[in-house]
Amino acid sequence: MQVFNAFLKVMKRRMTSALIYVIVFLAISFSFANSKSQEKVFKSTKLNVAVLDEDNTPESKALTDFIGTKHNLKQIEKDENIIKDALYWGITVDYVMEIRQGFSQKLEAKEYDDLFGNYHVHDGFSDALMEQLLNEYITAVGTYQASGMTTSDAMKHTADALSVESSVELADKNSEQQNSDFTEEFSAYFRYMPYILLSVLISVLCPVLLAMSRKNIRYRTNCSSFKTSAYTFQIFLGSMIFVIGIWLIFMIAGTIMNGGIFRGKTWLAVLNSFIFSILSAAIAVLIAEFHPSDTAINLATQVIGLGMSFLCGIFVPHIYLSSGVLKAARFMPAYWYVKANNMIAGIDTFSSKEVAVCFLIQSAFLLAVALLAALVHRTNYSASAQLNK
Amino acid sequence: MFLHYLKYEILSSLRVKDLIFWLILFPIILGTLFKIAFGHLYEKFETFSAIPVAVVDEAPELDSEFVLKMEIFPTRDIIDSVSEGDQPFLKVTYTDRKQADELLKKGKVTGIISMEGKLSLTVHDSGIEETLLQNFVDRFNSSITVVTEAITSNPNAEAEIIQAISTEIKAVTDIPLTKGNTDYYTEYFYNLIAMVAMYGSLTGLNITIRNQGNLSKLGARKCCSPAPKSISLLASLIGSFIVQSICMLICVSFLRFVLRIDFGSRLPAVYLAAVCGGILGVSFGFCIGSIGALKTEIKTSICFAVSMFFCFCSGLMIGNMKIIIEEKAPWFNKINPAAVVTDSLYYLNVDKDYSRFQTKMITIAVLSAAMILLGFGLTRRKKYASL
Repeated sequence: MQVFNAFLKVMKRRMTSALIYVIVFLAISFSFANSKSQEKVFKSTKLNVAVLDEDNTPESKALTDFIGTKHNLKQIEKDENIIKDALYWGITVDYVMEIRQGFSQKLEAKEYDDLFGNYHVHDGFSDALMEQLLNEYITAVGTYQASGMTTSDAMKHTADALSVESSVELADKNSEQQNSDFTEEFSAYFRYMPYILLSVLISVLCPVLLAMSRKNIRYRTNCSSFKTSAYTFQIFLGSMIFVIGIWLIFMIAGTIMNGGIFRGKTWLAVLNSFIFSILSAAIAVLIAEFHPSDTAINLATQVIGLGMSFLCGIFVPHIYLSSGVLKAARFMPAYWYVKANNMIAGIDTFSSKEVAVCFLIQSAFLLAVALLAALVHRTNYSASAQLNK
Repeated sequence: MFLHYLKYEILSSLRVKDLIFWLILFPIILGTLFKIAFGHLYEKFETFSAIPVAVVDEAPELDSEFVLKMEIFPTRDIIDSVSEGDQPFLKVTYTDRKQADELLKKGKVTGIISMEGKLSLTVHDSGIEETLLQNFVDRFNSSITVVTEAITSNPNAEAEIIQAISTEIKAVTDIPLTKGNTDYYTEYFYNLIAMVAMYGSLTGLNITIRNQGNLSKLGARKCCSPAPKSISLLASLIGSFIVQSICMLICVSFLRFVLRIDFGSRLPAVYLAAVCGGILGVSFGFCIGSIGALKTEIKTSICFAVSMFFCFCSGLMIGNMKIIIEEKAPWFNKINPAAVVTDSLYYLNVDKDYSRFQTKMITIAVLSAAMILLGFGLTRRKKYASL
């Protein structure tokens, strides 16, 4: 097993970069794994609202209190830049409003327009939601006032009337498909896996295969008594051990994240990831057949890894991608991987037939890449044999 | 002599393939992928647009009270009124229950409003669009309560009450804060520019590699040559600034004119910020390269790792990382070179004046000067024999 041992020796030197990829991926996956829970009931969105009360009257305070019952009240300094930055990011606050000076007087006088200022950055849903609420509140106050109530009574009645929320039925989109074995949250771990598999396998396997096929080493091996079939077998064995080793690390980590051995449909996701691992290795072999430089390997790793991740729905879910991008992505294997993963998790409608089709398409890609690698290898070999004649 | 050094410094920098890859090709690839992934997200998902909703209007057993109220609140008219105009609130599909369920299941509508006896809402998720629909249903139902209570308290004022509830008001007026591009996914492109600027550290690192006798043959030859070290180093540094600036200009031009990223209305200042960021990156690499007699690989790894860490903290991988850090350790954002570059680009886009931008440019200048001085200080009087 001389070739096999040499292969492992070269690989050992390249393991650091593989380990960095694996460790970073697992660390991020573990930190996200604990923060998810399945949603069973409808929960209305509570915005972070900052109210700048310029009126400072019992009426404006009553309104602020009412907003506090519907949303989370936040404090913010009245500084244009601070408000602008906060709204641009929408993390600390979603909506900043000003209760204008003279609010209570205008209300008393039954003037209902231009009572509030909305610090405006985005034409977003938060603005629409708050505008709807404030208009509704003022309309209700006006209606009570029309019956002869005082402003403070009208505000009290309004707060009571608007406190009642209609019950909302939460329909389970894919009730037949959703399963507790492979939740949508856990499926994200499998969704991101192709990026790491491609990055690790191309950046490690390529340079190792290149080192093994370097001209002087290759010529020495060729003129030895070593059979070509045995050489190929040992290289294949070394590569497979590496690929399956990396894949197993992810599966063991997945088992830990899952809190026990995989069950039910999760095994389909496991099979999906296994097919993709082998496919990634085949891509690495194909790249190595072109004898690229270190810079070219770097370029290939980034283009293939990031390209498939952005286009095929690994980094950005399918729902957010435009139809044109999705159409183009069909020509890449990662698209079929993500599609199968989505169906297994119940994000898309599950169909065992369609999942099988996804597996078959990935296998077809695998076969095509392997054949192409063999063809390139044969062409290179013939070319070098011609030169040596 | 200075010009001779400068010329060959620029020529040799342009022949380093790694630099061409990381400073020109990689940003072009990543920028294109960012554009494909994030290009339409803001408009499609963050900007308010009419919410698709299925309305089931079968009403098999309307209760008598509801029918009475429907005379005051003609539901269909109300729904129609909010689904028309320039900025409609709803995009309505009137259908039967079975079809509505199918539309909801396929994700074609956000919710189902049904008028089977009383108004009710069915959704398949919790979110802001669903909350808006819930508010709409609440508004309808609470309006009935408000009118009923008001009329009960003063039956004589029924006409005024109905008029008050039907009057459309506009209680909220916008106070616009910026005229710039408010698509926060643009931040990824700011970070891409910052990343190229930070990768300038590799160019900066090359200066020391090519001048330090123990790191390269060229460095060894330079150490033995009679040319003053200060002139040789200065030429290398200025040459690297020029090469890095060219890379920054290519990056910004590609983003602006090929990918059509909206950087606001002050493009010359965007170029200036990018070039200054690039100079900061080179200075950083020069400083790291000047530390001790470490091997090239170790210095390169340090440059890469620290640059990526800075970019991670400014939001290259997770868009809002800078804001998270702003809450926990705001001082770090003020000295993180990548965050300083992204901030300067952001201020150019959203601010009306240049005051915050100028502060960031001063920070870049001070950080660059400090790193260059530190680099010169560390390489000063370092002879080949002392390495």
